[in-house]
Amino acid sequence: MFDIEDYKDVEPLPLTQDVTNEEELCRIMYCDEYKQVMALMRRMISKDELSVRALRLNSRAIELSPAFYTAWNYRFRIIEHLLKEETQLQGEGHDASYMLNKELDWLDEFTLNNPKNYQIWSYRQALLTQLYPHATFSREHPIMDLMLDDDSKNYHVWSYRKWCCAHFKTYGQEMAFTERFIKRDVYNNSAWSYRFSMLKHSDVDLDQELQFVLDKIEYVPQNISTWNYLGGLLQMMGTSDKLVEQLLQFSKKYIDESAFAYEFYARMSKLSGTANGKDVAQMYSHIADIDPIRDQWWNRKSLQADQGK
Amino acid sequence: MSSRDINRANFINTKLLGRKREPIDVRSEEDPEIENIMKTVETETIIDREEVMEACVKLLNEPLHVLDKDFAAGGLTFAFNSSMPPQMVALDASQAWIVYWIANSMMMIDPSLLTNEIKRKIVRKLFLMSKDNGPFGGGESQLPHIASTYAAINALALCDNIDNCWNKINRDAIYKWLLSLKQPDGSFTTCNPIGERDTRGVYCALSIASLLNIMSDELTEGVVEYLQQCQTYEGGFGATRLGDEAHGGYTFCATASLVIMNKLNSIDIEKLMEWCAARQCTEEMGLCGRSNKLVDGCYSFWVGGTAAMLEANDYHGCLKKEALRKYILNCCQSKTGIALRDKPGKNGDFYHTNYVLLGLSITESKFYYHGDDKTNRTPFDILSKSLSVKEVPSGLAFINPVYGIPNESLQEFHEHFI
Repeated sequence: MFDIEDYKDVEPLPLTQDVTNEEELCRIMYCDEYKQVMALMRRMISKDELSVRALRLNSRAIELSPAFYTAWNYRFRIIEHLLKEETQLQGEGHDASYMLNKELDWLDEFTLNNPKNYQIWSYRQALLTQLYPHATFSREHPIMDLMLDDDSKNYHVWSYRKWCCAHFKTYGQEMAFTERFIKRDVYNNSAWSYRFSMLKHSDVDLDQELQFVLDKIEYVPQNISTWNYLGGLLQMMGTSDKLVEQLLQFSKKYIDESAFAYEFYARMSKLSGTANGKDVAQMYSHIADIDPIRDQWWNRKSLQADQGK
Repeated sequence: MSSRDINRANFINTKLLGRKREPIDVRSEEDPEIENIMKTVETETIIDREEVMEACVKLLNEPLHVLDKDFAAGGLTFAFNSSMPPQMVALDASQAWIVYWIANSMMMIDPSLLTNEIKRKIVRKLFLMSKDNGPFGGGESQLPHIASTYAAINALALCDNIDNCWNKINRDAIYKWLLSLKQPDGSFTTCNPIGERDTRGVYCALSIASLLNIMSDELTEGVVEYLQQCQTYEGGFGATRLGDEAHGGYTFCATASLVIMNKLNSIDIEKLMEWCAARQCTEEMGLCGRSNKLVDGCYSFWVGGTAAMLEANDYHGCLKKEALRKYILNCCQSKTGIALRDKPGKNGDFYHTNYVLLGLSITESKFYYHGDDKTNRTPFDILSKSLSVKEVPSGLAFINPVYGIPNESLQEFHEHFI
């Protein structure tokens, strides 16, 4: 446990504002503990002390100031050094998993308390890539699950999970994973985006995937996430006559209740050749009426269609 | 988690950054009858949005509000003349940002607010954050960081060349350091050895380098290819090239980077426009940062600025400025504390004050390039002029959408380093 008594021999390194009387712009009124811990850490960084007590002090500093990236960088150096020391002590081939798992446990707990923090994820990536060759994907699952349960659109977590898949070269469960979130909230665009990025790594049959998204559109037609996904999928599958015809008929069913459907219908009409430039221009003009906040945009599309673009 | 930690987290989330942390809300199966009438399903997304919509619509029904510049100026001046409360320790590693947000807001409202005395204080404070007059860290004795250096350079640009402070900037050291942050895939890391590698780093690097006139082929090598890979199937850009979700902040960073390099044509512009247009919320009139997420005043700049850069390049129509203006004026003004906020129900903060004001300036301006030579365009050729607005214009400074600072300061700073 952290005990300030362990640092009696360390001379605190003050900030300029601590030693001059000058009123610094936007000076933060630090509490006493913060001042003390940071001043000790600054001194230890300057002396490059990489010890167990430095790690304890560092944990306290990070708890007090989660976004303090200098402390995260220092922490990495400490862990790196302690690991080297242990390996030397135990001899070559020593498995340091115990120590690294302890560090990951600490990080897990910290992460749960600081869900919007940036630094945790890059620190974690550095641990896994540079210090921990025996790390496993499954060790990473619980923390990501907890975080996404709490905030199903947490950008950092989805991004980190993607990084993990690439790092561990494991993509087996990802499609099913996104399905869980889509089932819970069909509007969750983070889940849809993640799913899209996983398509090329999965062995899913694209026709089956097409049916998956069509079902979700049928469930709620006015949903930008699913229509965007359908558009991306179409680009991936290629615009064969048969597919365009199928999507033309499909989108037509929803044009009265969804501007997204209408836009898709206009695109398919143009692609299939069932409508000429003038017809498509008219469709876009109609969308401008039902989606007035974007009327300038739809009028632009209308003009383009009219000019045969 | 101790109660102190909870208070702290809440303070950071709601008071300072105004970023929303959504409640845990797992819904049971929906009632099919309701579904048929509503055509929506009551999920977290819909419940959260309806609450915001209701609050916005109430305010939007009122006549157009006027920007309360005196109130905003008072809060900003107060911030520069007093110490920050202990809770601000959450921004201890973002001190260059605080200085930029406040100084820039002042410059937009009324340049005379930024007195020479304040400018000197800014300069002194910023150079404390650097060992060798650049690069800059988030505070004194902190490691150099790309976002802090970005904010510090922007803030210095607002200080004229008071006491020759611009000549103090160590451009050589900054250039060498930027190169050390460059990654093999074309991106930049924010800090060495541990940092984030994403489009944000790219934008900060190119913004700094172009302002200080230290751009080079070595610095930009592979950057365009990296950014191309960050454009997603939705049209916007994600953080990394692994296919991250399109996001307002990262889309701004990618677009501004391309504009700095005059390489906008290397991406799918039509898709980008479509994505930007889709960010404007019908009922709320403001912009959101991702599909099916909530409106937030700060995207008035991240997405609005992207639209402004597109407009300067003759790609018009992806932003309904008048409507966004109404969202800003009626929904983003806070009557207490710091002037501008994310959305109704939130407190104002310096981050939102800066980006909401930048967004407001965009809604009252037209953007275009000076001169016809498209092949040698630079971001400093982007000009703006007043767009006739129906009701009283807010009279904010004209801004450059690439750098997020007033045109006048930008030109002066840029010319100094030619």
